[in-house]
Amino acid sequence: MYPANHKTIFVLDHTPYFGISTECPLEFDFLKSRGQNLIPLAPVCKSLWTTSVEASLEYCRIVWDLFPTGKLIRFVVTDRAAYVLNSWSPLQQNLNHIMNGTAILGVPPKTPDPGEDYSVIHGLRVAIETLNECSEIQHEKRTSLNENTTKLVNRGRVICITSARDNSNMKSLENIFLNELAQENKTALASDHLIPIDYCHLVILNIYPNNIESQVTSQGPREISPLLTVEVHSIKASALHSKLSHLILSHYDLASTTVTGIPMKEEQNASSSANYDVEIFHSSAAHTAILKANPQDSALIKTFRRFEEGSEYETVTLKWCTPRGCSASEMQYCTAMHRITPVDVNSRPSSCLINFLLNGRSVMLEMARKTGGKTISHLLAAHGGEIFIHTLSTARSVLEDPPSISEGCGGRVTDYRITDFGFLMRNNILVPLKRTSNSNDDGTVEKMRSRLERHTKYWPMTISSTLMFNLKQVIDPLAELMVKEELTTDEVLQCKQVIFSVLGLEAKHETLPLPNIGGGRGGKGGVRREEHYRLLWDEMETFLKHHANNSAAHTEVLTCLLEIRNKDDKDKVELDQALRELDSFGKEDGTARVSVIRATTDSPMSPPANVSMPLNKQLHKANVGSKSLLDIWLQRSAPKDRKPDFHGRINSDGLKAKLYPNLKDTGREPRETILEG
Amino acid sequence: MPTVIALDVSLSMRRPVLTNGTNDNLQNEPLTRHHLAVHGINALLHYLQVNSKLEFVSLIVFSSLYEVICPFTRDYDSIRAKLQTIEEWDKTCIEGALHGINNVIMAEWGNATACQLYPIFIHFILLDPSLQAGLPLYQRLVDLAGGDSIVLVPESPLSKYSVAACFQKLAEANYVSFQGYLKCGHLGSRILLSPAPMPYTKKADFELVPDLVISKTIEICGFISVGDVGSPSSISRHLVLPLATEKTSSMQDTKKKSNLMLTVLEPGSDVVPWLGNFSNLGPLDAAKTPVSFPVRPTEKRSYTQNAPSWIRQVGLQSDIQKILRHARKLPEKTQNFYKEVNRLRRAAASIGFIELLEGLACILERECTLLPPNLNPDCTIQMGHVASMIRKPEFLELRYNIPPARTKFQTGS
Repeated sequence: MYPANHKTIFVLDHTPYFGISTECPLEFDFLKSRGQNLIPLAPVCKSLWTTSVEASLEYCRIVWDLFPTGKLIRFVVTDRAAYVLNSWSPLQQNLNHIMNGTAILGVPPKTPDPGEDYSVIHGLRVAIETLNECSEIQHEKRTSLNENTTKLVNRGRVICITSARDNSNMKSLENIFLNELAQENKTALASDHLIPIDYCHLVILNIYPNNIESQVTSQGPREISPLLTVEVHSIKASALHSKLSHLILSHYDLASTTVTGIPMKEEQNASSSANYDVEIFHSSAAHTAILKANPQDSALIKTFRRFEEGSEYETVTLKWCTPRGCSASEMQYCTAMHRITPVDVNSRPSSCLINFLLNGRSVMLEMARKTGGKTISHLLAAHGGEIFIHTLSTARSVLEDPPSISEGCGGRVTDYRITDFGFLMRNNILVPLKRTSNSNDDGTVEKMRSRLERHTKYWPMTISSTLMFNLKQVIDPLAELMVKEELTTDEVLQCKQVIFSVLGLEAKHETLPLPNIGGGRGGKGGVRREEHYRLLWDEMETFLKHHANNSAAHTEVLTCLLEIRNKDDKDKVELDQALRELDSFGKEDGTARVSVIRATTDSPMSPPANVSMPLNKQLHKANVGSKSLLDIWLQRSAPKDRKPDFHGRINSDGLKAKLYPNLKDTGREPRETILEG
Repeated sequence: MPTVIALDVSLSMRRPVLTNGTNDNLQNEPLTRHHLAVHGINALLHYLQVNSKLEFVSLIVFSSLYEVICPFTRDYDSIRAKLQTIEEWDKTCIEGALHGINNVIMAEWGNATACQLYPIFIHFILLDPSLQAGLPLYQRLVDLAGGDSIVLVPESPLSKYSVAACFQKLAEANYVSFQGYLKCGHLGSRILLSPAPMPYTKKADFELVPDLVISKTIEICGFISVGDVGSPSSISRHLVLPLATEKTSSMQDTKKKSNLMLTVLEPGSDVVPWLGNFSNLGPLDAAKTPVSFPVRPTEKRSYTQNAPSWIRQVGLQSDIQKILRHARKLPEKTQNFYKEVNRLRRAAASIGFIELLEGLACILERECTLLPPNLNPDCTIQMGHVASMIRKPEFLELRYNIPPARTKFQTGS
């Protein structure tokens, strides 16, 4: 829970001695082969300083590629004093920041100042001080008021690259470090913002030029005190990089995978391709699944890789599996996922594999089985410019051969509104939003929750249980507008127009364009049509009532519908007339109007329209300026003086009138049929 | 979660059970411990058949050796049939049995699938007064196994009823189905998750959250296309099965099988890097600027930066080669030439590799003398210019780039 690799400090020796050459000539004059008469160039050697900066930066490259957060590294450079190149802040945890620092410091001084004390001790002391400083997460955990938190354990690692004279010199370095540790911890205890070190792992890398023998011997990890473990590696400068690459595996619990059999076009001969290997590092947990399974299988895929100076480590060889259409677009059952980084970042095979992945393709990796078969065990894929190794489940799945959803309850229903549900899903697709400063954490989740609730307030599951959603061409965009949180004036108008147009269709006795349920079966068309309209109005009312509380504008749409529905059937004709007039009014006015209503002839049975005055004239009377089109229309369609009542009712008591009241009167008996002839 | 039933078939299992008077054995054949075991297993299988149909069960018998009688299957009747034909062997060897079980599980399920294991012999041998001493040993074994391992002993007197009760208890405790409610706004259904999710302990740096369980109400907060989701690592996967509300299931047989699957991610809102923090997800119409997945990290990874790496000699050589290649195509490649020169200069200055800068200067100067006569004179001028500039200490500062020399060959000069 409190790993030592949370905080690492590199202490780099910048004393004059580190300016000397490693005496390890680099072959950079590759033109030699061009001819004998070339003037040979003096070979180039890195200095001890260059070697240590380069190797420690490579260490950071791997760490930060694999763990972009939470694994912090600081640099302390030491000569006559200590220079701290970066802080624990995540903003300073990157290679550019460190390289700016090392560039400013430049090469170690060639001529030492006689009065100055050039020593690695300054750096080690400052390293302890920096370990006493809290990282952001440590500070957060330390100051959190949660009662349950256990005591924060402050662990860290110091990697010091230096050059000591001999073992006794190294011993005194250790002792000084231990004393400083105790000292600095005392200071930390007395301070509010510092935190004592509970454990420190000191790794001393003693490097020397290739042409000399060192008097310092390597020593494995030793527990000097409960607070401190020390190990010493005494190596030639040229072996520093491989030593650090080796140590990093244990420091961060990493493992190596060799992707083998990568087909690559030859640079010279583009038509042929050869197979290459690329080695990658990643968290060792990516291998857990395959290495803990069959021991014979894991023995088969493990091989050893040897570093230049003899230390060796395991790599797991997995075979490139030519991608076949499938892979990343499908959701694989992935039990672990870890970032990777190539061991040799700029080699041609590495960059070839990397670019292949970064371009959006993915690679399956196969492991060989003892039994002869092969199993796809991993997937390499890039997401957002980062490459991951996905550990796939190689075992039989407990979910195999699952019962189809159609076998379960409700599986027999065949008319689910699947397409509509697809729309619902599409309308509620999540995207990454830019975080605004005032938004709190739960805000967006809550918003999505209420949004989905709004979208499903009235949502019939089957095609046969709704009329409205089968009449998209009539209803649109009412349904999609009403589910919104807020409506603009324009949208309210659009909704009302939908209502009016339904009204218009009904008035014109148009059959509703129902795909499956509707007419075409002949016969009782008229009855069906009326019934359909009645159902549609009912359903629209239900739908609008569900959404009426969304906002005042939503209520307004419902009110509009309710007011229309309050009309008597008789008034429909009147409305129809009104609509037609409204239609023409809109044309004259040039403002928004009800969608075009085709002129239809009224049924010959319709009573004459009861319009006393053309709408235009009424408008003039009513002082148009203050009224909206809707107001006018509503006013026009409001219930007015009804037609004369049924004559029979005049003489009856109450609303019920007896038909043919005189039927039984004398002389009114049904006449006998007289047959003529 | 697959189940292994390991049945002890040693001779001791054939000892008769003393029944006190009430003889429930119609064949008048003495009832043995083996009979009781088979009876118990049948009770367990019956329970699964009714309550947990998707469970895989395997039957292993063991004595001093072990044998897989039934590989993992959901066909419980086939196990029942095999149970009738089991023969007795020699003596009990628990260690061998456990090894066998381990192999069977590893071969079939790997280590990612939790397995339930009931060495049923534990229930029986303990009834023998002489073996009562074994109980603490088995107790230690299950303690080591951890989880919800238990030792069960049927109540005495040993009879079909007490054994069946014991198995029933086991089944009820271990095959608890997860019943919950899946919700999407106002739509929802009672559901069953198969297999039932297990409690999870989240372990991370500075974080240890034990016993996390999935809430009974699973709520849909929005939708993301599978392509965008990718294949994030998951704790477990479960079938989502609707629970009958009114009608019972139909026997409809469709060719294409569709299932609803629940993938359980690591707890937390920031567990899939390319989806970003889940609390930043929202509907498309809430986005002011067009946004889409994947979410990119603020820092680029090393392998996308093309930074020089000279740890291996070949890296250094290819960088120098590139500079010389551009040099021969001056003045057209002026930009590329100076870009590469400055890239190398910055990298060398960062790691204090001034020897390389001197080396590059020498190589450029020598290159000038080797150029074929038909090359543009600008090659010589620019290479000479770089050779002299790169030796100047001010160009050890990262921010100063070496600018091209102004010549009549350079465009714009």
